[in-house]
Amino acid sequence: MSRIDQFESVFRAAGRTVFGYEPIALGRVLVVTDLDADGAARIGGQVGEFLDKHGLDANAHQRNVSGVEFSTVKGLLDLVEAETPDLICTYRHLHSEAWHWPFSLGEYVDVLAQATTTPVLLLPHPEAGRIADHAMQDTGVVMAMTDHLAGDQRLVSFAAQMVDRDGRLLLTHVEDGHTFERYMEVISKLPRIDTDEASQDILQQLLEEPQQYIDSCRQVLAETRPDMTVEAVVKVGHRLAEYSQLIEEHEVDLLVLNTKDAEQLAMHGIAYPMVMELRQIPLLLI
Amino acid sequence: MSEVHHVSPAVTWFCAALLLALVLCLALEEKLHIKKSILAGSFASVALLLGAALHLLPFEPVLIGGHEIHLPVYIPAVDWEVIAIILGASIFVDVTSRSGLFTWIAIRLTKKSGGDPRRLLWYYGGMTVVFSAVLNNVTAMIIVGSLTGVSLEKLKRRDILLGFLLVEGLLTNVGGLLTLISSVPNIIVGNAAGISFVSFFLKASPYVLVATIMTLLMGARIFAIRRLETDEEIADAAREVAAFDERDGIESQGFFWFGVAMTLAFVAVMATTSVLPYLRDLGMGYVAMTFAAIMLLRYKHEVDQFYRAVDWDLLGFFVALFVFINVMEHAQVLALIGEGLKLIIALGDIQGTAAVLVAAAVFSSVTDNIPLAAMLAKIIVVLPDAAGNLRGPEDPIWWSVIFGANLGGNITPIGSASTLVAVTIMHKQKLNMSFGRFVSSAAIFAAAQISLATLYVLVVLM
Repeated sequence: MSRIDQFESVFRAAGRTVFGYEPIALGRVLVVTDLDADGAARIGGQVGEFLDKHGLDANAHQRNVSGVEFSTVKGLLDLVEAETPDLICTYRHLHSEAWHWPFSLGEYVDVLAQATTTPVLLLPHPEAGRIADHAMQDTGVVMAMTDHLAGDQRLVSFAAQMVDRDGRLLLTHVEDGHTFERYMEVISKLPRIDTDEASQDILQQLLEEPQQYIDSCRQVLAETRPDMTVEAVVKVGHRLAEYSQLIEEHEVDLLVLNTKDAEQLAMHGIAYPMVMELRQIPLLLI
Repeated sequence: MSEVHHVSPAVTWFCAALLLALVLCLALEEKLHIKKSILAGSFASVALLLGAALHLLPFEPVLIGGHEIHLPVYIPAVDWEVIAIILGASIFVDVTSRSGLFTWIAIRLTKKSGGDPRRLLWYYGGMTVVFSAVLNNVTAMIIVGSLTGVSLEKLKRRDILLGFLLVEGLLTNVGGLLTLISSVPNIIVGNAAGISFVSFFLKASPYVLVATIMTLLMGARIFAIRRLETDEEIADAAREVAAFDERDGIESQGFFWFGVAMTLAFVAVMATTSVLPYLRDLGMGYVAMTFAAIMLLRYKHEVDQFYRAVDWDLLGFFVALFVFINVMEHAQVLALIGEGLKLIIALGDIQGTAAVLVAAAVFSSVTDNIPLAAMLAKIIVVLPDAAGNLRGPEDPIWWSVIFGANLGGNITPIGSASTLVAVTIMHKQKLNMSFGRFVSSAAIFAAAQISLATLYVLVVLM
């Protein structure tokens, strides 16, 4: 009955995922710092300026939280629950000196990124001195990154909303080369499957789906944001290295990525190493 | 039937038992885990050996164009016209499907339905009937069944998937009645009766139309397939189906249009073979093989993939079956069954014709309808009517066999290859469909279709 499968495959391939633009409401912004009131106000001011151009509601309410307002993770989560913000802005290693060693996010951000459904704008640490020259000034170049771009309507909408007028939106998808090679190695040991044919067909299909979705995004965004340029990057490779290189090459001002994983408590897939590695630009964790 | 041999009744009854054993084995094919071709091939080998040992077979040279040619006795036993039609048509359909034509039609109809389940049922039902008629009922079920699974999953309506697949499975056998080449029993009986393609279509199409509408109305009611009601539901469904891209399966625009032209030409030439000069002598088998060869030119360097895709089991089964039935003919088994058939026909024009249809349907439901059609065709072709004349193509008894053999496939899941495909798709979709559940779900449809067919043969075709 291989012909049933053959036709099912044709029909499945023909069933595209179409992008639909979702306007994102940002009416309440919570800026969380571990600084004193003045420091919190300074960071809040920077954030306000940074976000001002990017889809904040006209009467958006911003609250700057200083370090004395919370001293435990539970305290912060209670604060977030009480404020019900649409966006949380913060940085790594709150109430900690561990920012000297870039090996974790700090307990507050670790929990915050997973325990709430609110998107988190993760800023470069104010004292670490690792901010890229072009960062925190504008969002002329925004990059949306995911390991399953097809169907990420909210991610793309968020990223599009953050792009400055006449800016560039990079929609990227890097298929993990190691995983692909591993499967190809297994396929090469199965006599019933033609290795070359399988390799070519699988690769083509893997890249075709995100490319088609990006084409759909481009079509819709051309109407909602005609000023913005949408570019596609779809490739296979070492994901962390490829994404880092893209960020450097395009001088990306803001990286937007999915971090929530419905099936596990930790950040999903490539998100954690990316968030760990990329400390020089703001990251928007959806 | 050839000249009557002097065969002892014991030999005839022994061979009849052999025929019964083959029929039983074919009914239990799934349980025995033996492919049809091996089953029929084994029986044919034994029958040939018996035929030779008991001096039943005529080992004489064959006269072709005045020349005596020595052929093995089992070669002229096979109806090669039927084999050529099946082989040619199956390759033609397989290569043409690579043009993306059939998937294009299927997706266009899906989009046109706007994702409304009731409209989708009508479109898919109609498509099943047309594809069954033009291609064959197995290919039709594969195409429409696979699309049904994918589109209802996209519309998040798996709750009505079983109803859709069952109705489509039942419609393949209705669509299989539309033309002379839509199903193997049609080809076998139509050839034996001398019914032309056009005449077959004109006589069968009114029934197919009414039976299709009736089946779809019943299906919508029994499986509660309703129209969408709210504006939101309508908009959501329309958006989901609009995301299908019908051009996805088209490798080349040129080949797509070539596929369209060739499919239309194939149907047109098949329909007119009996009146076209030269072609009427070469027959429909030649037409099917030639069209297959023309389509294969597109893939001239990789034709082996299409040769591999041919259902050799089915072709081997036909060849072996023809050989086996030929031996049965020489052993006077067919004459014996013919005597029994005479008794049924002698019930009267109305009762006899109706009884043959119902009996053919019941037999087809538990075993393959092809041996039944092949056997009955051989018997009826020499069975005189009430006036003592050979039965012409107008005789309603042919139609009783055709309707019965096709529609019997709707009574059980093993009654026809296409209903078996429908059940396979249901299992692939993790839907619970046992033999018993199929019979109980399909019974009302099969009863309605067979009753309608009986009425149609008695009132319209008689």
